[in-house]
Amino acid sequence: MVELLLWPFVAGLVLTGIHAYFGLHVLARGVVFVDLSLAQVAALGLAVAILAGHSVQSEAGYWYAFAFALGGAVLFALARPHERALQQEAVIGIVYAVSAALGVLALDRAPQGAEHIKQLLIGSILTVTPQEVGQLALLYGVIGIVHVIFRQPLTEVSFDPLLAAARRRRVFLWDVVFYGSFALVVTSSVRIAGVLLVFSYLIVPAAIAGLIARRLVRRLVLAWALGAALTALGLYAAWTWDLPTGPAIVTAFGAATASVAIGLSVPRLTTRKVSTFAGVVFALAGLLLIAFPDMDQPWLDALEDAAPSVQTTFLTSGERMTRLAAVESIDQARAELARLRAIEQDVRWGKIPMEADKAERLRQYLVGRTEISAGDQLVLKQLRRKARARQRFGLGLPLLLLGAGTLYAMGRRRD
Amino acid sequence: MTRGHVITTFVVALAALAAAAPPASLSAETTRLVTTSADLKALVEAVAGDRVEVESLTTPDQDPHSIEVKPVHLARLRSAALVVKIGLDHEPWLARLAAPQVPVLDVSKSVRLLQTETPRLRVERRAHVHAYGNTHFWLDPRNAEPITGAILAALVMLRPAEKTSFEANRDAFLHRLNSKIDEWEAALKPYRGTRVVVVHDSWAYFAERFGLQIVAAAEPNPGVPPSPAELAALFTRMREAGVRILIAEPHANPALVRSIAEKTGAKPVTLIPSSFDYIGLFEDNVKRLAAALTTG
Repeated sequence: MVELLLWPFVAGLVLTGIHAYFGLHVLARGVVFVDLSLAQVAALGLAVAILAGHSVQSEAGYWYAFAFALGGAVLFALARPHERALQQEAVIGIVYAVSAALGVLALDRAPQGAEHIKQLLIGSILTVTPQEVGQLALLYGVIGIVHVIFRQPLTEVSFDPLLAAARRRRVFLWDVVFYGSFALVVTSSVRIAGVLLVFSYLIVPAAIAGLIARRLVRRLVLAWALGAALTALGLYAAWTWDLPTGPAIVTAFGAATASVAIGLSVPRLTTRKVSTFAGVVFALAGLLLIAFPDMDQPWLDALEDAAPSVQTTFLTSGERMTRLAAVESIDQARAELARLRAIEQDVRWGKIPMEADKAERLRQYLVGRTEISAGDQLVLKQLRRKARARQRFGLGLPLLLLGAGTLYAMGRRRD
Repeated sequence: MTRGHVITTFVVALAALAAAAPPASLSAETTRLVTTSADLKALVEAVAGDRVEVESLTTPDQDPHSIEVKPVHLARLRSAALVVKIGLDHEPWLARLAAPQVPVLDVSKSVRLLQTETPRLRVERRAHVHAYGNTHFWLDPRNAEPITGAILAALVMLRPAEKTSFEANRDAFLHRLNSKIDEWEAALKPYRGTRVVVVHDSWAYFAERFGLQIVAAAEPNPGVPPSPAELAALFTRMREAGVRILIAEPHANPALVRSIAEKTGAKPVTLIPSSFDYIGLFEDNVKRLAAALTTG
């Protein structure tokens, strides 16, 4: 595990280092989607590079991408003073859509690049190499130093444009420096991590830190810690639950945001709010169960999986026996299939020798066994439907009454 | 200008544009056929010779599963006498190009398909994205015989007068192809039973014909990168079994290919899945594969 996930983790740390910092700026400026927009412009640059006869992996491709992103950066700096007439977010959105469309038009003439650009936007942090991480760390180190040296004007221009204007800062110049270095960072990061992951590194740690801390330095340190912890969590989840790495990390970021939001709102909750919410949920669940018993009821499915008695109380004793037999048979089949599949894999890879026709018979048996097991699943589904028809009033009506009663009580308390 | 004028002008302009556009239906003398892939174009031409005009809706570079449909495609399709397609779920975009008056030849009906079983109980993620069977059947050169057979039958329906000429074309092509297949089989014979890993699951037919044994696909679902655990298992398996060859397509994820090659020592070899030159396609692929197998 460590051998495979070490470099993705280090890459995640490097990405956190620079993106959490830029994220604070981006949030202060209110240009959340600037990163997606610049990444799309960089992809357009790459498409043009392909048209010009360069390969996606080539140096030239990278410089094309950066040059285009830099062009986008200058455009954003130019648009900023006209914020009142035309919002920055509108400009960013237009640039995103138009460069995506232009990219499609360009690739229509050079289709061999389409797949590569698609992969570029997805990214593959799992297969990152130590050299790539090293180069990235070096580049971001240099950019970081530049930003530390010029922290005064850069911070003012992002966080306090009025002060910057009062001090007669050259706002356009510093905007170009900011967006230009940001374009370089985005172009380089997306190559390794993909658009989704880079966006998450940029926005999520900075946003969560902003909810908790006020001072800029504290926010930055907190954002770094969050980024590192969530990268580790995402990688661990990807390993444990067998998930694609990038999306797993992004999901970890999303889960963290949700838990912080819930955590912050819990102290503000009153009994009244909670009861009203619960009342609405109960009434709605009951109503849906009564009105559409055949509809998917995922909450009830989950409840039945956790506590089978919720279903079995609505079944006759004969049906209960059938259910038990089916469940047992599925469990057996699962164990047997897992065992045989392992053998089949070993045969396939040449670990266990087996004659060709015997191996084929094993394969056929596996297919057949899977079908039989699918039949058992069908039996369970049928029983669930039968139970649903009885739960409709046996469970739906009490739920509806409970919900309505709670809401009624809450309404009375106001008076 | 009133609103009525504007609309009239717009309509007139549209009509003028429509008139200026190239006519969709061409003279009845040349029969125009449309295929969905370059390989099918090559096979149709092998039977039809220069008696019909054949156009392919895609180029070999494109991913055949996801095509951005263009107006030209629509025009070509509507004016075609026959559409020849791979079938199954290979061309999902074709459904949106409906031209009900044009007959469609589904060549998948003429060949023996592989991987037709669809596991309904998902015990594990499997190297299997094809819901109705693996669609890459043109990569077994022996399948050219049934495919051109179906094409011949369809062409004879269209132009019965030229039956003998079509038959002669097909026989000549198959004769040439069969002698080539013997050469290719001879070239790869020493490596029969060699275990290989593929990036995508598109080489089942090719492997079966030339006696290679595909043991795993590195990216079972194209576009979804493998999970760390999957990749770790693959590395271990490849090292244990001593797999020396990794077959990739030109558009395979280069980072993934490089990483597998570095971690396991397997030699990546890029094979081409599609071409306008059917015989040249195998000539090239066999040569690349033989070179990799000799040194690997």
